[in-house]
Amino acid sequence: MKKFYLMLLLVVGMVVLAACSSGDEETSEGSGSEGSSSVDTITAWAWDPAFNIAALENAKEAYNGDGEYEVEVIENAQDDIIQKLNTGLSSGTTNGMPNIVLIEDYRAQSFLQAYPDAFHPLTDVINSDDFAEYKIATTSFEGEQYGLPFDSGVAALYVRTDYLEEAGYTVEDVTNITWDEYIEIGKDVKEATGKNMLTLDPNDLAQVRMMIQTNGSWYVDEDGSTPNLAGNESLEKAFETYKKMMDADIAKIVSDWSQFVGAFNSGDVASVPTGNWITPSVKQAADQSGNWAVVPMPRLDMEGAVNSSNLGGSSWYVLNVDGKEQAADFMLNTFGSNPDLYQTLVEDIGALGTYSPAAEGDAYAVEDEFFGGQQLLTDLSTWTDEIPAVNYGLHTYAIEDILVTGMQDYLNGAELTTVLEGVQGQAEAQLK
Amino acid sequence: MKNVKRIFIYVFLSLAAIVSIFPFLWMLVSITNKSVDVTQGRLLPGTHLIENMKTLFSTIDIVPALINSTIIAVITTVLTLLLASLAGYGFEIHRSRGKDIIFNILLLSMMIPFAAIMVPLYRMFGSISDTAPLIGIDSLGAVILPTATTAFFIFFFRQNTKMFPKDLVEAGRIDGLSELGVFFRIYMPTMKTTYAAAAIISFMNSWNNYLWPLVILQSPEKRTIPLLISNLGSSYSPDYGVIMSAIVIATLPTALVFFLMQKHFVAGMMGSVKG
Repeated sequence: MKKFYLMLLLVVGMVVLAACSSGDEETSEGSGSEGSSSVDTITAWAWDPAFNIAALENAKEAYNGDGEYEVEVIENAQDDIIQKLNTGLSSGTTNGMPNIVLIEDYRAQSFLQAYPDAFHPLTDVINSDDFAEYKIATTSFEGEQYGLPFDSGVAALYVRTDYLEEAGYTVEDVTNITWDEYIEIGKDVKEATGKNMLTLDPNDLAQVRMMIQTNGSWYVDEDGSTPNLAGNESLEKAFETYKKMMDADIAKIVSDWSQFVGAFNSGDVASVPTGNWITPSVKQAADQSGNWAVVPMPRLDMEGAVNSSNLGGSSWYVLNVDGKEQAADFMLNTFGSNPDLYQTLVEDIGALGTYSPAAEGDAYAVEDEFFGGQQLLTDLSTWTDEIPAVNYGLHTYAIEDILVTGMQDYLNGAELTTVLEGVQGQAEAQLK
Repeated sequence: MKNVKRIFIYVFLSLAAIVSIFPFLWMLVSITNKSVDVTQGRLLPGTHLIENMKTLFSTIDIVPALINSTIIAVITTVLTLLLASLAGYGFEIHRSRGKDIIFNILLLSMMIPFAAIMVPLYRMFGSISDTAPLIGIDSLGAVILPTATTAFFIFFFRQNTKMFPKDLVEAGRIDGLSELGVFFRIYMPTMKTTYAAAAIISFMNSWNNYLWPLVILQSPEKRTIPLLISNLGSSYSPDYGVIMSAIVIATLPTALVFFLMQKHFVAGMMGSVKG
């Protein structure tokens, strides 16, 4: 009887395997439809109604081409889009896939590599010189431009001026500083106000990512796939800095997004180093108006590091399905070449694009009372141009999962080089 | 001594109750608060309930989503009860040489995670989309079909049928009932509690089902409640008060179904243990 069950298990296992592999096989065949049939309606998937969805709606208004088609904007959560795209594209049926989709820059390369024929190149459609240089690296693949760069993930340091003042510092004192200087100021702020300097989430190394990009480094080599962890000086420095923050006891530990937002909304922290898309969340606490300023991101204390970095940000992609010509036309006549659209985007929704010609417009020069009359958008655009370009490669989140445990070991007292060699080995084994 | 033990038990039980009820309490409190209060961890009821409800119903299509979820959950539950009980009845009452082998294969199929069959399943539905749009991609039919019955429910009904008195089947046959007659007129009324228990589980599974509806449904007007809630949380600055309100509304139907059938549910579960 035992034999029978073993056989049964084997048969079932084979059936499952066969089912999986046949799904993969068909990928290239199904999605590479070369027909150029036009459609009446093109669909676009994106997340966040207040930001990306609103941007698409604005783009529909601003469209100045002569194509005759409807654009249907569909809202999906980012994780949901990833799940849907992966299932749809790997099943090889183009049924139900959108024409335009928004993909986060960290994930773009893995999609472009996994489904090479699924995306429609925009190389001849847009002028890639018009966009911030660092975005082009992440949105192109093997010499072809696939993505239309959208929002800037330019990172900045949001600081509470009132807390700084209490500790005897001015905004100038936190402008263009290194992380080490930041920690010293943090200690003084904590002593004077009792408030922590920032929040840290042990499961999310966004902090480390932003730090190493100030020095043009990433988790992977230039090729986008070889893990670059052991012996990566920027990463070592970032790990050391992270530990210093923990040791100096200037960080409030949070475990999810709502706690992160809650910490600065309730005035528990004196600064927020993160992407500029956090602005609406900071402004949510209206009673703190006038007590905030935004300064350039601190840099790693290393030769060559700059006071500018990036966190998140995403770009538009056209899928290689029926209607791709119209989708490309829509992209070109909106986000691809329309500076006025970008003016409305910053005015209406505070979405900061990476289309360089747009930065000259009046809307960028507006003074923001919440931030003490600072010309926030102009500043952010300036910093956007300085972000070091890195190839995010294929495995940002996979490597980060490994690094998270490495970081815990390091914080618990393990030797840094040993830890990084360990994660390097793990990453190499896992990502082969 | 006995009293000390009692106090200890009560303290322990109270703690356990607080731990399990707290999330619900927090959810209920949060629908009356502004988003910023929710993120700050406010535990007292606020005055924002009406605003939250207004935002919810004016900006989010929650009613169509509720209707979709209801249609899917009700049809899935009815199909599950009918098909799984027929199968469970057949497996237990009728004699056949291969039935145990088939039953074991069925049980083994329970061990394959859904994620593993999702891509081939999507492909299958994709290939029939053009000929049969009613059960193709982006249709409610496609959500219902793969979950219309599962090995678990067949197993559940078979186990419960073990305590169904077989003499009744004989008696029915002698009195001239057809096989289906025996099933519908004798088996079904006798097994009411089992049906109730299965109905609750099936309804809850279907109502809360996330992954498959997510990949197969594309148009916003066909969304189910879990998909809608997932969307609400996707924003860079989510409105937690509104999200909590949506979650409360989404929880009500399952809670209602459960309380309506609670008595039968408990009896049904006990039965399955005894069997």
